[in-house]
Amino acid sequence: MRVVSVSGARGSGKTSLIRELTARLSSKGKSAAVIVNEQGDVAYDQNFIQAHDLQVRTIRGG
Amino acid sequence: MGCSLASSLVDLKKELKRSHDPDFLFIEPSEMVVTQELRDVTAMGLRDIRYDIGPFITLVDGPLFEFLWSERRALLLGQVKNADLVAVSRADSIDVGELNKVQQALAGYCSKVIPLSVRSGDGLAEVVKRVCGEV
Repeated sequence: MRVVSVSGARGSGKTSLIRELTARLSSKGKSAAVIVNEQGDVAYDQNFIQAHDLQVRTIRGG
Repeated sequence: MGCSLASSLVDLKKELKRSHDPDFLFIEPSEMVVTQELRDVTAMGLRDIRYDIGPFITLVDGPLFEFLWSERRALLLGQVKNADLVAVSRADSIDVGELNKVQQALAGYCSKVIPLSVRSGDGLAEVVKRVCGEV
């Protein structure tokens, strides 16, 4: 497991980048998980989660 | 990031490692977390489970840079300093002059600043290489 952090201000594109990376890695047969602050979890919809077998966990306040 | 949040993050990391052991675990912190803080917390947990660390990527919103630089500089620099890669996000929404300004302003605080656009694909290849440990 390799832990990768994506930081930045709200709206800077953290979720978009992680989604893109997840999709690219998934197409190479790599699995991924995300620990996301509570403001970002809504961007990981069920269709995307299922399509890429993504594990999502939310950290409150973090 | 307070002690309880740091502890929660470590617990989630352990739980994911033990239950799914994904190839990659992305951490998307709130906008208030600075990179050194995140580095310290990310290293916690190595006592109990094995995993690789890095890269630490910081996104700097290209179109909002002037506002961030004038109003939130301390926080912005806290995220830029100690990052392995700094990317100017939504770089396709600013012109070359603005991009140069961002790169010049941040040059003294990090080793490299790349333009990035998920929409156009600019910079993604380099980010993928970094994430996969190929750089």
